[in-house]
Amino acid sequence: MLEVKQVSKVFDGRRGVHQLDFTMERGEIVGFLGPNGAGKTTTMRMITGYLHPTAGSIAVDGISVHDQGRSVRSKIGYLPETPPLYPDMTVQSYLKFVANLRDVPTREVKLRISEMISRLGLQGREKQLVRGLSKGYKQRLGLAGAIIHKPDLLVLDEPTSGLDPNQIMEIRDLIRELGENHTVLLSTHILPEVSALCNRMLIINQGQLVLDGSPQHFGSAMGDQFKVSIEVKATEQQLHNVLTPWEKVQSEVIQAADGQTSNGSTGTVKMLLTGESPEDFREELFYLLSGAGLPILEMKKENLSLEQIFLKLTTTETESEVELATQETETDKVQLANHATDEEANLGTTSDLKQSTSSESASSDSHTGEGSK
Amino acid sequence: MRRMMAVCNKELQAYFLSPTSYFAFAVYVLMTSLLFYSSFVYYQPSIVDYRLVLGDTLSMLLFVVPLLTMRLVAEEFRQGTDELLLTSPARVTEIIFGKYLASLAILVVLILCSLVYPFIMSFFGELDLTSVWLSALGLFFLGGSMMAIGLFASTLSQHQMVSAVAGFIILLVLWMLDSFAGNSGSALQQWLDPFALTNRFDSFTKGVLSGPDILYYVTLSGVFLLLSIQIVERKRWR
Repeated sequence: MLEVKQVSKVFDGRRGVHQLDFTMERGEIVGFLGPNGAGKTTTMRMITGYLHPTAGSIAVDGISVHDQGRSVRSKIGYLPETPPLYPDMTVQSYLKFVANLRDVPTREVKLRISEMISRLGLQGREKQLVRGLSKGYKQRLGLAGAIIHKPDLLVLDEPTSGLDPNQIMEIRDLIRELGENHTVLLSTHILPEVSALCNRMLIINQGQLVLDGSPQHFGSAMGDQFKVSIEVKATEQQLHNVLTPWEKVQSEVIQAADGQTSNGSTGTVKMLLTGESPEDFREELFYLLSGAGLPILEMKKENLSLEQIFLKLTTTETESEVELATQETETDKVQLANHATDEEANLGTTSDLKQSTSSESASSDSHTGEGSK
Repeated sequence: MRRMMAVCNKELQAYFLSPTSYFAFAVYVLMTSLLFYSSFVYYQPSIVDYRLVLGDTLSMLLFVVPLLTMRLVAEEFRQGTDELLLTSPARVTEIIFGKYLASLAILVVLILCSLVYPFIMSFFGELDLTSVWLSALGLFFLGGSMMAIGLFASTLSQHQMVSAVAGFIILLVLWMLDSFAGNSGSALQQWLDPFALTNRFDSFTKGVLSGPDILYYVTLSGVFLLLSIQIVERKRWR
């Protein structure tokens, strides 16, 4: 569907993208991740033909963007970071303009416009000026313009940025729906979005591809040690007595509420256990603690969250530093928790519930992280 | 063709809605009316000839054209809508010609406004109608090439004011090309003379429709349209 081969882009001596190489299959939803200035927008602009690469080639369905730009551009729907809207136009006239510009068959224009208006929930605003639309509606209108010609490949540059939580959920649902019929490449800096939407992700940093694979796959592949967090109804001392002789697992206390609580029960201890090897030790742990008469209230396998992978890949650290970072999970976690709370604040409260269900692997870490604060 | 008309329609809508174009029209009509008043009503010339007031109309174009064209491309760059246009299947040629076509339509309205004066004059004496119609046609050719120059200036910046000033300067230079070389018939002046923007216009007002003059204006428009296309196309190679 999309082939990006050894693509580089140099701006006035400054390197934008360096030898980027990836392909996309039909029907994939690919998340394009990277810190600001990594080259996401530049890459997308090159795919859509807005910029020509300095070196390398891009082909959509085997047709080169460079040689047959117009036929490729008619296959692509592109929504730039700020939707390209004309403030003085009405919603309807804008869609009509885009439909004409994008070669929608004349007979179908009216039908397509009404289809887009109902699909993106723009009913009742047909005659409204774009200038007066809210950010969310502008985004929807931009998206309507990007899909009005039924493109094979849909390129979305941060489609949910600057929207409120409800709008984010709506746009995501829409993208998921579009993913059923279109191939979608979307860039974002919101990590849970990737695990919620995409079946594959590409991480780029400083213009280079650093990771390519499914978000689930990364979670387990990147963590080289097996980690489990537990909450046990016991005192810290009791737990230590049981766990210290167990050599293959290192334990560290995250939070302890020792002694008698008001209702007479003993307190609980939260712990993070790290195995020496990537081997699963949960079953063993269960029998060990139940044998000692210490009930496990909660046990959760800790995947390396997307945030951690992202940080790990996009911050330039030497190898020893990376090792150090994985060991110092505690400090890492506090940082990540900040990161996560920011993200959640960004998403607001209404979508929190949906958010956590839709991106379990990503949120699991941040929750324990919050607990440690 | 359809994409070109889509761009043209969009631009006409924008002209219709933008306060700048109303302002430009108001300035044009006000100034030409004042000039008409002073040169026809106040001085009361002994003959009735459209050419008496036509010169004033022309000089007003110099100010009005950059105002009308400055938005055309600069605004697309500023709003980021060039991303929509350049990623659509439309050729840059279609986009630029669409915009140019819209500016020509506006020019026709502008010329119709200035035909009010010969209409008024016709009540006071016999007008040479051939000269009037050919002057209008000449205005269309002259204005058309000025619009192309303004459009070109608009591709140079994403700020409308910069475009307007650039357009005005290019027009002014071309306008006064023949007077740069001194006023007498020096070799340089003779060489520059045929390229000056308004010299070619004179034959139209005399009632002469000559091929080279039309060709000059058409070529001038063509060159600046081509340059505009190149400048916009170059955006892809940044």
